Amino acid sequence: MKTNIKNIALFLAFTGLLTSCNNDDSISNGTIDGTFGDVELFFDNGVNGDALVLGSSYTNSNGEKLTINRFNYIVSNIVLIKEDGTEVAYPKNDSYFIISEESKMFTAHLENIPTGDYKQIKFGLGVDQQRYLEGETAQQEFWNLASANNMVWTWSTGYRFINFEGTFTSATTTNALNFQIHQGSNSSTDNYRQITLNLPTTARVRTNEMPNIHIIADANVIADGTNKIILHDNLNPAGTNATVMGGENLIKIAANTLSMFKVDHVHNGAGSHH
Amino acid sequence: MYLLFQRIKYVAVLSFILLLTSCSSEDEYVAIGKNSPYQFQIPSNFPEVKQDISNNYPTKYGVELGRKLFYDARLSKDNTIACAFCHEQSSAFTHHGHDFSHGIGDQIGTRNAPAVQNMAWQSEYFYDGASNSIEMLSINPIHNPVEMDETLPTIAEKLKQDSEYLKLFKQSFEDEQVSSTNILKALAQFMTVMVSADSKYDKYVRNEAGGTLNNQESQGLQLFQTNCTACHETDIFTDNSFRNNGLPPNPNLNDLGRETVTGFPYDRYKFKVPSLRNLAVTAPYMHDGRFGSLESVLNFYSNGMQKTANLDPVMQQHGALGIPLTQAEKQAIIAFLKTLTDEKFISNPAFYYQT
Repeated sequence: MKTNIKNIALFLAFTGLLTSCNNDDSISNGTIDGTFGDVELFFDNGVNGDALVLGSSYTNSNGEKLTINRFNYIVSNIVLIKEDGTEVAYPKNDSYFIISEESKMFTAHLENIPTGDYKQIKFGLGVDQQRYLEGETAQQEFWNLASANNMVWTWSTGYRFINFEGTFTSATTTNALNFQIHQGSNSSTDNYRQITLNLPTTARVRTNEMPNIHIIADANVIADGTNKIILHDNLNPAGTNATVMGGENLIKIAANTLSMFKVDHVHNGAGSHH
Repeated sequence: MYLLFQRIKYVAVLSFILLLTSCSSEDEYVAIGKNSPYQFQIPSNFPEVKQDISNNYPTKYGVELGRKLFYDARLSKDNTIACAFCHEQSSAFTHHGHDFSHGIGDQIGTRNAPAVQNMAWQSEYFYDGASNSIEMLSINPIHNPVEMDETLPTIAEKLKQDSEYLKLFKQSFEDEQVSSTNILKALAQFMTVMVSADSKYDKYVRNEAGGTLNNQESQGLQLFQTNCTACHETDIFTDNSFRNNGLPPNPNLNDLGRETVTGFPYDRYKFKVPSLRNLAVTAPYMHDGRFGSLESVLNFYSNGMQKTANLDPVMQQHGALGIPLTQAEKQAIIAFLKTLTDEKFISNPAFYYQT
């Protein structure tokens, strides 16, 4: 008990020291150095300019009609970039988020971001190889969350970066067949990609103001972007199911995803909104 | 105002801590032993480790916990299959006499159980490289529906009911939690210290007592160095690559090998080059356990190969497919391979746990 009190006294003295230091800090650009605020990223899932509605259909430019039943992805390693070019990297251990249409998980909430005006955002789609190789030690309990959201492979110890599933028909496939597009890395190819987006308006981070950065994710781009993935060409030998989970397709999808996101708008000010 | 608020928050946190500590003083006293790094040494004839073990360096209790987990059937869905079920110590942690192992519900897999030894010196795991991390690899057999068919969070829930585990996790990890992460970390620590480096061959290489090779073994070593080290390199006896060694595919399995993981046709029929340590006790051989003896393996390499997609170039450099060997040469190579058996490893009580 005695040691506890001693530790607490030390803790108090130390934190007191830290907080009092702050008093001397300068005020610049309307923000106080050493103060922090929150940022929220809101991911609004869409298809080719329309809202993504699970269970409804659309036809892509490959002439295939897709009914989307699942659209989940991993967003990671978020970096906010200030107007002066300063990069603020969110702590890696806390920087892995799952966005899931079916589970209505649309946000990445960031805490303790230095106050300031931000004009760009960078994030990764998936889990970077370096992080993956650091093993469970570094990934904390992210595996459990990913597993609960159908974002892991278990026959191979990796994460699905995107899980995009549903049914499709085409000129040659008139009965609706299941498709599964599972984007990810394996020990042969690294399909993690970093995406940089400009903010149309500055995101103002203040201790009492949380900007909400509203990002649109276009699911259509996965198979119908710069590179075209024809689902019919990926049918299994029995012709019952199209799966895209490896090889060249994943490299093509990785290139497509570079243009999957855009920042639609930024809400500044107090209060919650998106 | 903001700073004042922060201070109030600290006071609140502090009072909470005080509350906690005062409660715990009334709790039952549990003696927690002090953890310390495991005495883990890299054998002088070994290359550099391939895994970054500094993140999860083996500790006394971490290894003890990993060993207990390795032998615990609660890691499977119906509590019947432990890791050690298919990885038996006396067979250098392979499944003795089984081409394929039977997992949960007596279901059969499609690959021969690989040896668990010198794991930190490997950069790829499983015959197809389904994992490249010593900490993550346990996810595969645990989740495989024909092996253990379980999930990590469920295992954690089961283990939380066991006071012995509560204590071990507490001793082993800073966060003291029975968690998915710590289960994988403990297993990785145990696998890290499972080092086999005390065979007759090792003693020969290190000029230690008991390291004298007889004439046939010496001749076998020379033949091995000429014909086999392109793939089975270093004293780990693998270059960690994936290769098609010309094994005729089994049409009943149609195992595509490395292509299963990467999706690239150029990886078809390629399988990981296995280590040859403790070979004499790890029969049957090859990814599908088709060969029951080392004689059959050597016969295959000298004249049993089939030219399939991606057959490795090193198997096509002698005119005919494979490696030309006389009967006497095959016997010499086998005599050498038998010097790779490490009796100390397969009987070391540090790697055994009486359940």
